[in-house]
Parts: sequence; structure tokens; C-alpha cells
Amino acid sequence: MAVKKRVNPKDVTVIVPAYNEEKTILQVLGELKKRGYTVVVVDDGSTDSTPHLLTRFKDDDRVHVYRHIINRGLGAALRTGIEAALFMGSSYIVTFDADGQHDPDDIERVCKPLIDNKADAVIGKRDFSKMPLSRNIGNFLMNIITLIFYGVWVSDSQSGLRAFTRKAASKIKTEDRGYGVSSEIISEIKKRGLRLKEAPIKTIYTPETISKGTNFSVGIKILIKLIINILKRL
Amino acid sequence: MLYQIIGTLTGLIGMILSIKRFKEGKTSPTAFIFWLLAWGFLIVISISPNVTSYIANIMGIGRGLDLILILAIIGAYYLLFRIYIMIENLEMEITKLVRELALRESEEDE
Repeated sequence: MAVKKRVNPKDVTVIVPAYNEEKTILQVLGELKKRGYTVVVVDDGSTDSTPHLLTRFKDDDRVHVYRHIINRGLGAALRTGIEAALFMGSSYIVTFDADGQHDPDDIERVCKPLIDNKADAVIGKRDFSKMPLSRNIGNFLMNIITLIFYGVWVSDSQSGLRAFTRKAASKIKTEDRGYGVSSEIISEIKKRGLRLKEAPIKTIYTPETISKGTNFSVGIKILIKLIINILKRL
Repeated sequence: MLYQIIGTLTGLIGMILSIKRFKEGKTSPTAFIFWLLAWGFLIVISISPNVTSYIANIMGIGRGLDLILILAIIGAYYLLFRIYIMIENLEMEITKLVRELALRESEEDE
């Protein structure tokens, strides 16, 4: 009988980019810690009480806090987190939203294909039937943009729950500072010849999770930026 | 007549400033040539405004003034785009700096 490989939390570093997440950050970090993961929080210049709340982890060797002195955007925070995790020598790197929309139990699910050596990068696929309409449209638009500009179709290009092997994370070089980073990561996965898989995940919808993320207007902004980026290369 | 003098003087001052900036290493060779040509064009059309009508005819544009307006609009958009790229580069530099500070500060804490 084949031995089922399980995810060892010690091998996993979870990156949590946080911008003004005072309502949810402690619970999210608590849940991740409870499961034994090493956590890298990147406070992206929060102006609410998030930085104050994070001081609780000052002497915690399992939660590492990095602070951007000014807000630089999701893409910038993710890259800081990835660089920190690589420096710490993590085998598997997971990105996880701080607004409480992800179920921490899904980390195992996105890491499984990596541990089984079936993929180098995994993107969590949310259930779109339960998503509010404005977010649904925004996500669909971004999927189309990702397909047109980067030539890759993924069912949930804007998902915040992703997992990478150490090798894959070190190869992915993102430049986008904002929400466009999600599509850029997919483009990098393709460009670097990494194996990509999608894994179904749950999404917890609360007023906080609905107010953030990719809606229609964010999608349009990303589209304009992508067009300008193409013009820049001409 | 007055506008010919103003135009020529502006062009000459522009050229001198461009040469000075290039000598000080503040302008790239491509930008330097672009500015020399632009100021030179201003001097030429100041001295002989009919040149614009001649070029406009060659390009199939009605009047010389239209040609200048079109070129000015294209030039303005080009400059806007250059400024956008400059700001983008600055933003990238700031992000790098902020990241470096975050990573260093955390290292020092540990």
C-alpha cells in the first residue's frame, strides 16, 4: 500500500500580506499558528491598529513581522514576503489573505500537489457560484485579461491562496505592485516553465472580504496598466 | 517679424541649454539629438514659416499650422508618456527601498 505523504507544517511558510486588517489579522494569524505553520506577515504600511496588534508577535519565533513604512500594494508586499521566506530557507511557500476569506485547512490542499511532486505551483480555485456578482465580474474580467496578455487560462487568476515550491518561488520575479501581481505570477509560472495545478478551496464571505480584492474597477485599472506596460516595451 | 525673432531666439537658447545639459551628462545622446532637431525645426519655421506649408503639402495635411498643431500634440503625448515612465521607475525604486528597509529592520530585531 502506498504511503500517503502528509504536509509537514514545519516545512511550510505562510506569507500574509496585510493592509489595514485590524478586524481579522489576529484571528488569521492565530489559526495559522495553531496549525504549526511558520508565518511571515508583511504589514504594508497599515494606518489602522494593525501595526500595534502585530507587536504582540515581537518575541514569537513562529510569526515574523516585516513592515513596509509606506503602503506599496499587494504585489510589493507579496514579493517582500517571498524574499523573506526564501531567506528563511522554507521548502514550501504559501500566500494567504489577511482578511479572513481563506480557510486555513485549505493550505494542506494547495500544498499536496507540491509534496506529491505533481506541480511546482498551485493556485486555489474558489467556488464562483457563491461569489457576489461584482467580484465575480471582476474576477472573470481578470481571467480574460490573463488569457489575452499572458496566454494562460486559469479558473481563478485572482485567488490569494497559492503555494509554491522553494525552487518555483525563487524563479518567480514579479514587478507589479498592486493587484495585477496575481496575473503576473501566473505569467511567470508559464514563462519559467513551471508546472501549475489548481486546487479547489473554500471562501469565507464577510463584509471585509467583499470590500477588498478585484472588483470591476480594479480590473479596468489593471487592464490599462497592462496596455501601458506593453507600450513601454515598444 | 517679431515672432520670427522670438522663435529664433527661443530655438537658440534651447539649443545652448541642450548642449550644456549634454556636456554635463544630464541628457542621453538620443535625447540630445531629439532636442537639437526640435529646436532646429523651431528656428527654421520661425525664419521661413512657408516651410511648414511645404512639408504639410508633402504629408497631405492641408495647412502648415495644422502640421505644427499635430506635431505639438504628438510631442506633448510623447512627453507625457516619458514622464509616466519616469514616475513608474521612481515608484519601483521607492518600493525596492521600502522592501530593503523592511527586511533589514526585521533582521536587526532578530
